[in-house]
Amino acid sequence: MNNYKEIQPGSKPLKRAYVALMLWFVGRAIAAAARVDGAVKTEFDGLPPGFTFSLGVMPQGPTMIVGKDDQGQVRYRGWNPEGKKIDLKMKVKNLEGAILMFTFQESTAVATARNRLIVDGEVPAACAIVRVLDIVEVYLLPKLIAKLAVKRYPDWSFGEKVGNRIRIYAGAILG
Amino acid sequence: MDLPGYYEYHCSVKIIAGHDALERIPGILRDLHARRPMIVTDKGVAGAGLVNIVLGAIKDQLTIGAVADDVPPDSDLRVVNRLAALYREQNCDALIAVGGGSVMDTAKGINIVVSENADDLMKFSGAGALKRPLKPLVAVPTTAGTGSEVTLVAVVKDHERHLKMAFVSYFLLPDVSILDSRMTLSLPAAITAATGMDALTHAVEAYYGLSKNPLSDATALAAIRLISGNLVKVTRNPADREARLAMANAAALAGMAFSNSMVGMVHTLGHATGSVCGVPHGVCMAILLPYGLEYNRHKREAVMGELLFPMGGADVFAGTPREQRTDRVIAYVRQINQDLHDASGGRHARFFKEVLDREGKPAVPRERLTDIARTALGDGSIFYNPEELDYDDFLMVLDAAWEGVALDPGRIKT
Amino acid sequence: MLQKQSSYSFYSPTKVLSGNKALENLPVELDGMNAVKPFIMTTPGLSVRGMEKVMAAAFADSDLTIGVFAGVPPRPDLKLVRELYGLYHDNGYDAIIALGGGPVLDAAKALNIAVSGRPEDLESLTAGNPLTKKLRPLAAVLNLDLSGCEMTRYATLGPLSLTSSALIPDLMIIDPRTVPAEERNIVAAAALMSMTQAVEACLHPSRNPLTDAYAYGAARFIMENTLNVIRNSSDRKGRLALVNAAFFAQTASDNLAPGMVYELGMAISRSCQIKPGLIMGLLLPHFLLLEMKMETTARNDLYLFVGGPEAFAGTMAEVSSRKAVDRIVEVLLELQSLVPDFPRSIRDLGIKKEDLEGLVAPGSAAGVKGEYDPRDIRNILEKAWETRF
Repeated sequence: MNNYKEIQPGSKPLKRAYVALMLWFVGRAIAAAARVDGAVKTEFDGLPPGFTFSLGVMPQGPTMIVGKDDQGQVRYRGWNPEGKKIDLKMKVKNLEGAILMFTFQESTAVATARNRLIVDGEVPAACAIVRVLDIVEVYLLPKLIAKLAVKRYPDWSFGEKVGNRIRIYAGAILG
Repeated sequence: MDLPGYYEYHCSVKIIAGHDALERIPGILRDLHARRPMIVTDKGVAGAGLVNIVLGAIKDQLTIGAVADDVPPDSDLRVVNRLAALYREQNCDALIAVGGGSVMDTAKGINIVVSENADDLMKFSGAGALKRPLKPLVAVPTTAGTGSEVTLVAVVKDHERHLKMAFVSYFLLPDVSILDSRMTLSLPAAITAATGMDALTHAVEAYYGLSKNPLSDATALAAIRLISGNLVKVTRNPADREARLAMANAAALAGMAFSNSMVGMVHTLGHATGSVCGVPHGVCMAILLPYGLEYNRHKREAVMGELLFPMGGADVFAGTPREQRTDRVIAYVRQINQDLHDASGGRHARFFKEVLDREGKPAVPRERLTDIARTALGDGSIFYNPEELDYDDFLMVLDAAWEGVALDPGRIKT
Repeated sequence: MLQKQSSYSFYSPTKVLSGNKALENLPVELDGMNAVKPFIMTTPGLSVRGMEKVMAAAFADSDLTIGVFAGVPPRPDLKLVRELYGLYHDNGYDAIIALGGGPVLDAAKALNIAVSGRPEDLESLTAGNPLTKKLRPLAAVLNLDLSGCEMTRYATLGPLSLTSSALIPDLMIIDPRTVPAEERNIVAAAALMSMTQAVEACLHPSRNPLTDAYAYGAARFIMENTLNVIRNSSDRKGRLALVNAAFFAQTASDNLAPGMVYELGMAISRSCQIKPGLIMGLLLPHFLLLEMKMETTARNDLYLFVGGPEAFAGTMAEVSSRKAVDRIVEVLLELQSLVPDFPRSIRDLGIKKEDLEGLVAPGSAAGVKGEYDPRDIRNILEKAWETRF
């Protein structure tokens, strides 16, 4: 039949690379934020010892994994979920959904409302992690964009914000 | 009508409604290739004679495999497993759930166990674990209502491990939902009021929530119109069949709306209050609904104003200037609560301070509001609420809802 | 009377995904239905317009293999379905995605019967044996070029008429990339057909709260978007709204029964080259005026559907229904000025008046299926013949 063909649609390497980079950066930023921001630290303190979560794209990644170590410190644990016990898996249904999230066309709240994510794990933990993501996004993004990314832009003092922002960026890049 | 940038909508439940809809069950089961159903219900429903009405409508044309009437008020894993074993022993091939939310959840849980031969229900919790249709399930709600006859969620508690398992899957949706006026005719006034307000809350929160979409909007508006015209009426006059059917329709419509548009802070706080103080869900909904409107108002003013049309009717809508419509909507909700309070001989509570437990003692001590606020932080429904709420915000709303006073707009962080 | 109206049944199994990046959800949705290798069918026309490429790109990064058949003709037949059945089977497909409306969905529904059982099941279904098994997953990716029954339980394959609620697609995707701008007569026809289905649903004697909800959504979207979409080929959001409206209207109509105007429009269009939706548009006002004179199917809130809550609430009850008709005629007139070759009257359709008589008799050869009072049909046809909008 000449009107018929079988296709194996390829991949989108540039988009994957972008999302992988963003996930790496955000994962490390979360670990840094847990050190400098009281609210983030409190959220993680409320989670069980060794708690580990992943945020990734279906079907095969990219992924970022963040978890508490034996001393209760929050650490970026890499991109490979294999061999790790992950308590909470947040999965974006497809790469385009991840692009929408990480180009901030859709905030976490909007992405959730639009069913772009699947959450595998305890709901209270997911609530805590989303709150953490919101705080970290406020630190990482310029106000104009951060206001779109979160429901309520927090009322922090300028000094507080700038200081922590520098520490988080530095922590994310330098580790 | 608003078209969001993206939305999803799904409700594959076949709805059959009427004053004699139960009689359609044998034909439905035949179409689903089933002939030996197990009826799942609870003692309250059986005691009210409703199971007999169902049996009367169907037993001549079907073999009833088993009748299980010991579902507890809170869905329980042990009961699910025990009834699944009963289903298998009696060679049943379908489930008929006759009851309210807990019966529906239990029946859905049983369905997972018997369809997937599951020895550990936990494996199927979360989303995406179920991949194919389950056994036929017919839902016969006896309240109007939770809407769980059209939702894709089931919650089953594991009391031994202190876990609450949530199952989310389109395959959990009942195949058919029977809305028969006979099933709610004998519902006592206080329960009629509470479950009716549950339905109203579903519809209102679906309408102002972040996932709102054209179909959830259309079904929510229809539900609100039916509830506004029938809830108080039927609480005053329980034998009004048309009003009972209208409320059954409204609850299903509201269920379709919220299961596709999600719910918000009224449910967040309501779940937490139920969890900490044992207050029934509908009672919490009724008390908290005005606050959902007041708190979210600055983000949803226009949308809330639209609710005046189904709530107040065309003349009131036309006669109210746009800027005042949301005020009137909030006033209407408080008025419904007042009317229900009067119609139920004072049993329908208007605020938390007046909620009594089974022994007649106050069920929500003021000191526990902080616990409720803390618990609310862990509820996922908050994602769909238009405005953020932190611990302090939760407490502010709970305080006002306890006293029964309006929220101070100056204290709402915008 | 009240008793009959209180009883109803309603069924709409389709999951709708509408909006930005909707297509990319296909892998996850198919997986949820236990399918990993979809067979995509479309027309050469849509393929040439790039739709096939869009579909393939939507599956990028999914690790799935897809099949694409881009040869669905305007009138698919059993022979085609047998060929496709072979392709589907030999290559291990497990789901069908219909890209496009009309004949694509007809062929897809028929194919789905064949692949879910055997091709013989098709003939069995037409012979009146109901479909008792669940079919394989079927998804529809629709645009504005519609026949009016894509999302319903009906399909036509040559002389075969297939009817079963099992044929209703499991999934419907409405994505801006697959709802391109169309010629004005296509948009107008789709809008008027959907409006007819919605209005007839909300006036149907067996209407119920659910068909009303769907009809309401359809009517609002059509009234709010049609003219702008026609004037403005960059109105993507409006186009999506109109496809949504078509789905809502078809669902409402599917749960009741096709109405008189819908059937007459379909029947008349068989003997001329004009799209059925445009003909329905010409007949609809006359039907409504007739309805208003009769009392049996009276409803006093038609204007709520046609005009919206603000307009309806601000209108006196006595003139409300009339306003609804006037609003529809306004839109019709505007469409006639915007759409080239929009007939002004059914007299301009190139058919003879005597041929119309053939439609009036019950069970007539022209194929009007419902039971309508022949006097009503004659009345409407005569008025429509005489009137030039």
